[in-house]
Amino acid sequence: MAFAKSDSRIAGVLAAIENRLMTKVLLIEDDSETAEEITAELTERGFEVEWSANGIEGLDKAHALRPDAMIVDRLLPGMDGLTVIEALRNDHMRTPVLVLSALGAVDDRVRGLRMGGDDYLTKPFAVVELIARIDALLRRPAESRETTLRAGPLELDLIGRTARRGDRVIDLLPREFRLLEYMMRRSDQLLTRAMLLEEVWNYKFVPATNLVDVHMGRLRHKVDGPGETPLIHNVRGVGFILRVTS
Amino acid sequence: MFRCPGTDRPPLTFQWTDRTAEIQMRQLQFMQSNTFRWASAVTGVFAVFVIVLFGFIYLKIDDYLVARTDRMIATQIDYIAALPPERRLDAITDHLRQDSRGVQFAGLFGVGGHRIAGNMAKLPSGLEVDVPAQSAKVVRLDQADRGEQKARAIARRMQNGDVLVIGRKVDEATEISHVVGQALALGLLPAFCLCLLAGAWLSVRAQKRVEEVNQRVQRIIAGDLRERLPHRNLDDPFSKLAAIVNGMLDEMETMINALAGVGNDIAHDLRTPLTSARLALERGRTNATSLEQLQAGVDKAITGIDQSLTIITALLRLAEIENSRRSAGFSSVPLHEMLREVCDIYEPIAENKNIALRVHVDQNLNVRGDRDLLVEAVANLVDNAIKFTPEGGRVDLGLLRDDGKTIVGVTDTGPGISDEEHEAVLRRFYRSDKMRNTPGVGLGLNLVAAIVKLHGFRLAIHPGPGGRLEIICPDS
Repeated sequence: MAFAKSDSRIAGVLAAIENRLMTKVLLIEDDSETAEEITAELTERGFEVEWSANGIEGLDKAHALRPDAMIVDRLLPGMDGLTVIEALRNDHMRTPVLVLSALGAVDDRVRGLRMGGDDYLTKPFAVVELIARIDALLRRPAESRETTLRAGPLELDLIGRTARRGDRVIDLLPREFRLLEYMMRRSDQLLTRAMLLEEVWNYKFVPATNLVDVHMGRLRHKVDGPGETPLIHNVRGVGFILRVTS
Repeated sequence: MFRCPGTDRPPLTFQWTDRTAEIQMRQLQFMQSNTFRWASAVTGVFAVFVIVLFGFIYLKIDDYLVARTDRMIATQIDYIAALPPERRLDAITDHLRQDSRGVQFAGLFGVGGHRIAGNMAKLPSGLEVDVPAQSAKVVRLDQADRGEQKARAIARRMQNGDVLVIGRKVDEATEISHVVGQALALGLLPAFCLCLLAGAWLSVRAQKRVEEVNQRVQRIIAGDLRERLPHRNLDDPFSKLAAIVNGMLDEMETMINALAGVGNDIAHDLRTPLTSARLALERGRTNATSLEQLQAGVDKAITGIDQSLTIITALLRLAEIENSRRSAGFSSVPLHEMLREVCDIYEPIAENKNIALRVHVDQNLNVRGDRDLLVEAVANLVDNAIKFTPEGGRVDLGLLRDDGKTIVGVTDTGPGISDEEHEAVLRRFYRSDKMRNTPGVGLGLNLVAAIVKLHGFRLAIHPGPGGRLEIICPDS
């Protein structure tokens, strides 16, 4: 599960997360082993983690602590994970939630979480994936009416569908444009392959061929020209990051 | 479990140590067996039928005899009454003399009711005069000790006021019915016994066969999958049933063997990346002299473990699809758009291999289904096609209508799938021998088959050269 536990590069990549110290995360998970592992990983990355092993207690803690994000197991003693979220929403708490679900238990209700701005992850998962998704939930890009996106030297005209790096015009295919737009909205953020497949291509499964790498390879070739500082970085075994802050 | 029909306990699954107890048990069982009950019931119905028939015959004979008697006495009384009064007495005497069996009655009674002639002690009470034949109770002069006897009689008043009575005994009908009844009883009893015996025999035979089947089934339960149920000729329903069960057992044996093969395949496919991961870690630990070398080894190990995880995830995903009942979430899926999307995603991969990936859409077509799953199915077909097509080849995605069916076809210029491989490709983890060295988990087509089945569609594999797979969606 934690096969990228103390990889120094990932730790570096996730430095951005560590900058926001004392981000409160409430974990509601009845399996103590999983909970301990998640808690350890999150604490190591500077999150303040509160753990609760049952749904009712978890809901009380959510009200009392007002966490920045929550990780909720689908199946919980006392109160089902989705019911906990419903109760929160009825009390007008918009805390983003990441639901953990067994692969076989992903139904329409769980799938619907992504529409509602929340997210879900199927067990078993890599902890890096969990952290990347929590980070994405915490930094949900604000819905802006801007027609131009900027990230470092990159500039994306959403109306004219053109891209520039400094003075250089980047000629992009529509699918490459979509990918770059998604990455620019989430710059300096680790994007896992599964996240990219879901969000950019609307793929709900992991294909046999490493599609993401091929697409990313082409985009990188266009974005990072010879002699330019590379912006798109590959985090081995995990995903990609568009790094604009040095 | 096989159960003896009509009994509540499973027959002979217990191990009896006491022989007599077993025999008693069997006797009890054959009494309780359905066959025996049926035989008894049929025998009973037969007996009732015979008794009713007997009653009917008796009534018919009785009717006939009475009618005949009535005709006879009417003729006789007409004859005697027509004679002149002085000859009547002789005629009565003659009439009685000719009656050697003693069944005839005749009498002439005066106005006061006193006897003038004949063998009747007195005028029978209740006998009406000048009406057709009726039943009467008569006492004979010579048989006064037998009391009143049943008879049919006619009384007629003569011109001189005398009453002439002619009658005839009807005991004969009762005698005949006795004879018929005895004959029937004699015939019925052996028939009844025969029925019961046949029932018992059939029941014992059925029990024996059930026991035989049970023994074989017990052997199958114990793990002998090659065991089959006994059957003689197919005209017998029991043998027909055994043949059907044997067919099912054949199918199950094949499936179980296939499953065992899948287990081996999974073990093999998991072992390969895990072995390479272990090797990389071991080498790194022993040989690495710098942090970079150690990290390179660990990275290699992670790749191997990721591969194993991919296999496990694919297996879980397959189980999820196979077990899901998602038809409730079905909606209209525009296939033309879907094919273009899949093509868009796979284009760079095809280009890297110098393969031309094209979409041919005759018309815009929709089907009812789960969009995500259908994308997964088509993506898997395209993924496979690109993987197995040599460089410089083509992969064509087509959407067409044919005879009320919507067909999604994926055609490539690869080696295709031979006839012998049809079944095998849908087996989990199967990869064509020619392709053993091509990377891939080998679960792709299984996923496609599972998704297609969930939708009620059909997957058609056309023989090579040049692979063509079709998802056939009939209009529902």
